[in-house]
Amino acid sequence: MKRLAGLFWSLLFLAVPIFGVITFAVAPAYDIWLPKDVSEHGASVDGLFYFILWLTGGVFVVTEVALFWFIWKYDANNKKSEVKYRHGSHVLEVVWTIVPAAVLLFLAIYQMNTWADIKMRRPNMAPTVEVIGRQFEWRLRYPGRDGVLGTPDDLHLVNDLHLPIDEDILIQLKSMDVLHSFFLPNVRIKQDAVPGMKIPVWFKAREEGVFDIVCAELCGWGHYKMKGRVTFESRESFEKWLEVKYQEQEATQASNAET
Amino acid sequence: MSTVETKTTSVQDAPQKQETHVHAQPSSARKLSTFLSTYVFSKDHKVIGLQFLFSTLLWFLIGGLLALAVRWQVAWPWSDVPVVGKLFAQQGGQMAPEFYTMLFTMHATVMIFLVIIPILAGAFGNFLIPLMIGADDMAFPTLNMLSYWFMWPAFIAFGASFFVEGGAASSGWTSYPTLSTNVNSSPGAGWGQTLWLIGLTFVGVSSMLGSVNYMTTIILMRAPGMTMFRLPMTIWAMFITAVLQAFALPVLTAAGFMQLADRSLGTGFFTPEGNIVNNAIATAGGGQPLLWQHLFWFYSHPAVYIMILPAMGMVSDILTCFARKPLFGYRPMVYSVAGIAGLGFIVWGHHMFMSGMNPALGTTFMVSTMMIALPSAVKTFNWLGTIWAGRIQFTTSMLFALSFVSMFIIGGLSGIFMAATPVDIFIHDTYFIVAHFHYVLFAGTAMGVWAAIYFWFPKMFGRTMNEFWGKVHFFLTFIFLNGTFFTMHILGAVGFPRRLADAYHYETFHHLQPLNAFMTYCAIGMVASQIIFAVNFFWSMFYGPVAGRNPWNSNTLEWTAPSPPGHGNFDFQPIVHRGPYEYSVPGVESDHLMQTDPPNAAATAAAAAAH
Amino acid sequence: MNAPAASIGHESHGHHGPVLQYQPGLPLSRGKLIMWLFLSTEIMFFAALLGSYVVLRFGAAVWPKPHHVHLSEPIGAFNTFVLICSSVTVVLALEAARANKRSLAKSWMLLTLILGSLFLGVKAYEYSSKFDHGIYPWAPRGRIYERPDLYYGSAVRARLSDPAILAKIKELDGRPENELSDAELTGRRRLKQVKDMVNNPDQQAFDLAVVADQIMPLPGEGSDSHDHGGGLNDTFAWLQLPAVIPGGNMWASTYFFLTGFHAVHVIVGLIVFSILLLYELGPAAAGMIENAGLYWHFVDLVWIFLFPLLYLF
Ligand code: HEA
Ligand code: HEA
Ligand code: CUA
Ligand SMILES: [Cu+2]
Repeated sequence: MKRLAGLFWSLLFLAVPIFGVITFAVAPAYDIWLPKDVSEHGASVDGLFYFILWLTGGVFVVTEVALFWFIWKYDANNKKSEVKYRHGSHVLEVVWTIVPAAVLLFLAIYQMNTWADIKMRRPNMAPTVEVIGRQFEWRLRYPGRDGVLGTPDDLHLVNDLHLPIDEDILIQLKSMDVLHSFFLPNVRIKQDAVPGMKIPVWFKAREEGVFDIVCAELCGWGHYKMKGRVTFESRESFEKWLEVKYQEQEATQASNAET
Repeated sequence: MSTVETKTTSVQDAPQKQETHVHAQPSSARKLSTFLSTYVFSKDHKVIGLQFLFSTLLWFLIGGLLALAVRWQVAWPWSDVPVVGKLFAQQGGQMAPEFYTMLFTMHATVMIFLVIIPILAGAFGNFLIPLMIGADDMAFPTLNMLSYWFMWPAFIAFGASFFVEGGAASSGWTSYPTLSTNVNSSPGAGWGQTLWLIGLTFVGVSSMLGSVNYMTTIILMRAPGMTMFRLPMTIWAMFITAVLQAFALPVLTAAGFMQLADRSLGTGFFTPEGNIVNNAIATAGGGQPLLWQHLFWFYSHPAVYIMILPAMGMVSDILTCFARKPLFGYRPMVYSVAGIAGLGFIVWGHHMFMSGMNPALGTTFMVSTMMIALPSAVKTFNWLGTIWAGRIQFTTSMLFALSFVSMFIIGGLSGIFMAATPVDIFIHDTYFIVAHFHYVLFAGTAMGVWAAIYFWFPKMFGRTMNEFWGKVHFFLTFIFLNGTFFTMHILGAVGFPRRLADAYHYETFHHLQPLNAFMTYCAIGMVASQIIFAVNFFWSMFYGPVAGRNPWNSNTLEWTAPSPPGHGNFDFQPIVHRGPYEYSVPGVESDHLMQTDPPNAAATAAAAAAH
Repeated sequence: MNAPAASIGHESHGHHGPVLQYQPGLPLSRGKLIMWLFLSTEIMFFAALLGSYVVLRFGAAVWPKPHHVHLSEPIGAFNTFVLICSSVTVVLALEAARANKRSLAKSWMLLTLILGSLFLGVKAYEYSSKFDHGIYPWAPRGRIYERPDLYYGSAVRARLSDPAILAKIKELDGRPENELSDAELTGRRRLKQVKDMVNNPDQQAFDLAVVADQIMPLPGEGSDSHDHGGGLNDTFAWLQLPAVIPGGNMWASTYFFLTGFHAVHVIVGLIVFSILLLYELGPAAAGMIENAGLYWHFVDLVWIFLFPLLYLF
């Protein structure tokens, strides 16, 4: 009976790595996994994710199985050998400090380049569009015909972002009121919008399609519904769309002026 | 409170041999004042510890119920909340989105500031420190009493905040400006937020009083022979936690005052120039929203270690006791606790990778964050080394301690994903983070706390808890917690954002509802399982088997005192002859040698040989 | 038995175990150790405030010069001197108490108390001179505007149409020229100009800048002059017109916040000294005096950081 109890508890601990691995293995089959990536840099982010997943997965399985093994093997009720009276091991301490240190240091250095590409090496160009967070919508401002932001001919839109593919996009991110976060799951981009700051965000999309813009920073009661859409399209259809929107805006301005 | 009542009866029922002189003057006024000074405004560290324990367990229940309400909304948004729905329902029985934001804000606030921090430092720190180092009480008993009573304004402020105009604080437990500082930004940004800040200040004062007292006690009041390197890990952890508290907390207090001033006086420390919220332009300006984040995380990152180090210490002691084996690598264990604490002060920026902070600074925080995994690795491996080749006894306490190790590995490893800045771009503010911190906080610390409750219960109340029901409690909690929280990782891998009242209208996330429903069922099971614990706890206090001084054959000093110890703790002068972990010493008849056992030739020889 | 096996905590029953002995730790008394530890938490508290000050100040687009905001270095230096003296006297009180010169100890202690109060008095004077110029710790109450914009213009207009002010202006206009000093004469002329400008419906931003300059001119960059070249607010103290001080509000917030928290610490110290004065200050009280002194040195030290940061840079 007591021996069974020991077996039961050790198997319970063995279940942890088993179910852990199974969960991660089957999740992609149910589409509960990284959403489709349409960006140029996304592959290196995902690659790093997988790399860390394999690394920590390995550590996870090894440590959890060791835990199970010790619990099972050294159960007081079926143990035959003596308890090893040990206060530690100098060699082991050194080994299990140095090895993880090397692994972690490698990881730290390995990822720096990706980070610098996404957040530090800003393309030298004028902003494609300005995105302004506001409770609870994304206000967009395209430079208009003169190509300069902040002039009277700017095109103003809400929540409906269109961008051309296969070229550098530079977004100027601002917030009017509280913090928001500009999150494009399919582009592996996230950046908080901070009132009082202008933060550049850049990327290059590779594929056409319509995707979600999610607000990922708590911004009040309506945080959950602060949703926008981004449409990636070819340069031509992007420009066509811009023209249409521009004319719509001029029409409403004109009618406003009349009344 | 129920404790107080049980204590009254105990005074009257207990055979009062030594207390006859109390009956010499039977005046009811005197009785009342005796009662008050013994059980309410007691300066005895054990009573204060128990006061902390009972208060925090009560808040644990409240925090758990708040979590259930959170889970309900995430699984079935906008559907009628059963039973309690009528109480807070704005529209019929369903909760409003602003109410949801209040729920998770207060869930986290309660869990962190009223449960985990005070149960570790306040309840176990108080109860164990003098007993484990051989002191008769804390160095400053009055300060100690005050540190408990300073919690009450906080209890009241947080508790009352649900009932004030606009409702409770609703800007997350992180309270980022300008959402938290601008009164127009959300309903809970009114009185609720002010009460939140007031409550936080009182929790801070309480912790500060406690921490300086603990440090003084540990430095100056150790039994003869109890050198620093003969202290049990629990005491080392408590000591270093106190250092962390003392140095990190004042920063949050200062930041809290600044936010309070921004809100109620009209300064603009955290408000940028020309800030427009809800169409109203802010009168103050010129400040920086990110400054708050720096100050907040300068405290709150060390605070996450404040929330785990004591549990690590207690788990180390429990593991050695039930593996009947010395702690593997005592000194590395001590140094790694100190290392975690030291590095803990220079990694706060990892919460701000996406905040708009200079990305180059992000790189330095990334490197330091990677490095902080090292001391944790040392601890994990030493725990494994401790149970290796031991003789493991499956008590409830041991099961919880083992699961602490198992779960901490999961929580710690997910930290590596987030420490990697490019990966954090995708998973920041998603359920991956929620999974991470529930693994370290709930599956880690709370499991450690349960291990400690089952372990030291006999010392606290003189009776042991029921082992069978304890194991049932463990089993159910273990299963349900993994069901609830492990799945959060894959939810995070989709990018499922946290703090969203309803995410299913996003195309990216609309297929995740069934998974969330599964997690909510598990969460309900998890909270329901705690009924077993509560019943076991109270039942055992009165009817559990009476425990002797040392029911677990453990080595440390508290087990030499009576269970429960009387005033002054020890009925003899404890003198320490060895470290706390001399289990299964070859050549010694008993499988444990207490710290106070007289020097033993065989043990000395064995210790020399083992090195 | 249906009660915990024994009840714990028999405080008032006098049931004590043996008096316990302890391992020698640090060569410090409990009181002194906890005092040091407490002070280290205080250091972190002020470190956070000072750190925030530095971040806010150097992150700000503009920051007023000390004399823009009526901050007087000599007064600050004097106060620093007072506080340092009080640190010396408290040490002397301790020495005297140790030597069992009780009345001498009491005198030094009293002097410390007086010096501390003097510091607070000077601080109060400094505060009130800020208030007189409309500089308040927080924006809505103050008369500081960040820039000469339309809001500023209407604030000046509002002040100038206050009946009490109107009456005063009328009285001023009615006074014969030979009764007025030169400054008052120019002041009167300028006041008219200002009134016209703010009441002019098609005023330009530039006009308001001129208005601000007339009311309280800000010495240019690099100018060391301490007077404001006789702005209207200086000429006619009763006018109290809104003034433009870029960065002034944040300056005021941080200044009052830092010095205010410091002042609270001074007050706590003074209370402790007053209580100590009720005791016999012999060798028995030396421990208490020493702890109070430690605290007082800390308060002094904080000021030594605050003074240059707030007054000199
Ligand atoms: C007790 C609490 C606790 C603990 C111990 C930790 C431990 C760690 N945390 Fe966690 N963390 C939180 C509580 C905690 N955290 C909370 C509450 C939040 C969210 C706050 C909020 O936003 O609301 C958070 C958020 C958080 C973030 C921010 C994420 C984001 O918002 O985007 C990051 C980023 O780096 C991080 C990292 C880490 C790391 C690297 C550790 C490390 O200390 C872990 C080290 C341990 C191990 C690594 C496992 C054992 C080691 C081995 C088995 C050895 C081998 C391993 C390797 C070689 C990899 N944490
Ligand atoms: C110590 C900290 C702690 C603990 C223990 C928990 C416990 C739980 N948490 Fe919590 N949680 C946080 C800290 C914690 N959480 C934090 C910091 C956040 C972030 C908030 C933010 O974004 O600002 C968060 C957010 C958070 C979210 C995300 C909300 C969102 O982002 O939208 C969710 C969702 O599932 C959740 C769920 C749960 C659940 C189901 C539990 C369950 O484990 C609860 C189980 C409860 C019990 C088991 C109660 C047991 C009761 C007793 C034992 C008492 C017995 C009584 C007596 C003896 C008298 N939590
Ligand atoms: Cu905007 Cu959340
Ligand atoms: Cu952290």
